[in-house]
Amino acid sequence: MPQPILQLERVARDFFDGKTQRRVLYETDLALYPGELTILAGPSGSGKTTLLTIMGLVLKPSAGDVVVAGERVTHLPEHKLASVRRMRYGFVFQLAELLPALSVVENVIVAAGIQGGQVSADVRARALALLESFGLSDCLGLKPLQLSGGQKQRVAIARALINDPSILLCDEPTSALDAESSTIVLDTLKQLSRDTHRALLLVTHDPRVFPYADRLLKIDNGRIIFDSRHPLPEENL
Amino acid sequence: MRSLVALKILLHDRATTLGSLIGVIAIVFLVGQQLAVLFGLFTFMSVLVDHSGADIWVCSKHTSNVNSAGLIPERYLDRISGLPFVVWAEPLLFGNGTFVTAQGTNESVQVVGLRMPRAAAGPWRFFKGGSEGLLDHEGITLDRLDLRMFGNPEYGKVYEINSVRVRVSGITQSIKGFAGRLVFTNMVKAREILKTPPGRCRAILVKLADGIDRAAAITQLQAMLPAAEVIAAADLSALTRIYYVKNTGMGGSFGFSTIVGALVGIIIITLTMYTAVLQRQKDFAVLRALGARKRDILIIVLLQSLMIGVAGIFIGFLLLSLFLQATLDTPLPSYMPLAAAPVLAVGTLLLCILGSVLAMRKAVSIEPASVFR
Repeated sequence: MPQPILQLERVARDFFDGKTQRRVLYETDLALYPGELTILAGPSGSGKTTLLTIMGLVLKPSAGDVVVAGERVTHLPEHKLASVRRMRYGFVFQLAELLPALSVVENVIVAAGIQGGQVSADVRARALALLESFGLSDCLGLKPLQLSGGQKQRVAIARALINDPSILLCDEPTSALDAESSTIVLDTLKQLSRDTHRALLLVTHDPRVFPYADRLLKIDNGRIIFDSRHPLPEENL
Repeated sequence: MRSLVALKILLHDRATTLGSLIGVIAIVFLVGQQLAVLFGLFTFMSVLVDHSGADIWVCSKHTSNVNSAGLIPERYLDRISGLPFVVWAEPLLFGNGTFVTAQGTNESVQVVGLRMPRAAAGPWRFFKGGSEGLLDHEGITLDRLDLRMFGNPEYGKVYEINSVRVRVSGITQSIKGFAGRLVFTNMVKAREILKTPPGRCRAILVKLADGIDRAAAITQLQAMLPAAEVIAAADLSALTRIYYVKNTGMGGSFGFSTIVGALVGIIIITLTMYTAVLQRQKDFAVLRALGARKRDILIIVLLQSLMIGVAGIFIGFLLLSLFLQATLDTPLPSYMPLAAAPVLAVGTLLLCILGSVLAMRKAVSIEPASVFR
């Protein structure tokens, strides 16, 4: 069995609403492995976004540890966490979230150059290659407003891949797309998950996406209630 | 890449960028215009001293500004002229008078009497005629900018100042004083107009030989003339300006309008840049999620502030130069010393950064997790 790329060890998260403290994620152990498309599913308010943001190092857990490629990163300072995100993570958001001021190609390379310095010719070439592989060669100079939903999401995937991340986190990437665009995006993600050095986690509440999963996780009320890799006893489902 | 992002966002959010730009332009133009008027008035205040060509002025004791100098004995002139390090020494007489226009109205003037032929502290720009016109016993100069006030007197015609007959024998070009419209004449005519007792003058101007230590010369002259005030021309100029700034309320007035100009600019910049950051919250959250550190976001907003600052300063100075050009050779005082321009530019840039502090604070406080909600 390959080594996990991302591990959560007894990770929990509490939120304080001003009056009371509420636990939204209970002690969770989870590992993501390379070459695997993991789907995290659950109803609204189940804790899947909280889990995703903790895995994405944009939210600190209240308890437990996050281990990325063998390194405990939970207590790293903010700027180091940002660097880990840039080097090891790719994000695909629900609404693509491209920067409207930038062109398609700039939206892709921004993820490589956001910590300053010149963007190398290699990065630019890689961006062009990614966009070409996603059928976006004709859109390089366009602004996001000029793209369709599916095209935007493919640009977002190209952006997520520009740093060749080992962890790709996708937050309901097809929820705002029509059926045809959804299929294209999911096929693309599935193909990306075949890369043996990359783990891919896709958060969704849409059961039609489940067939794409190599591994299916279900979360409810802040607890993982199903893991297809380690099926839980029937009474816990 | 951060500078590209900063620039692209600015170009994309045109309305807010324009708002911030207007804030910077407001600072440069409003403050610059106020300063130009103040500096213009400065040049009026000490115009005689600044254009005297002398290194040292000898005035009455305790002279706090050139226009308040009392009478001193003219015999000092011989003692000063006899010193080996003095190239020349010239008496100067000035005082207030009333010019009677062709229409019979009265206009107050400041009469300046010069000893010919050197005419030290005399007119240096002529629109018509020249210094030689003052060799005429009755000869006076009027300034081109004042002609309308004087009822458009004719060149070569006779008029009256303090009931004394004078002849317009020269028209100066944009020479303005602070204590009244400057009318130059020869020493004899000035004495007659101002009814100055014989053997008295207002000041003695001293030109030192090249290489002479000015401070040592002043000390020596002061020891020789203990009843007079011996002062460097530059110091008298500064004293005169300070006197008027302190005693006329001008300093407070200009200081207040300058601060108001700067405040208006800062408020515009602060509001527009803060609004811009609020509008771009999601973009900054995305950038943070993609790996931007707080420092990177701070740099982007700072770069935006600097870009707006530089562009605004450029446009502001362009407008300011148009203002200065338009007010050149007009009665409106306006003058911007070359050294003041970089100070204004750097000051504006600092105000611009100050104005964007709130926006920066907001931008770095945006949590990357917010993009997932």
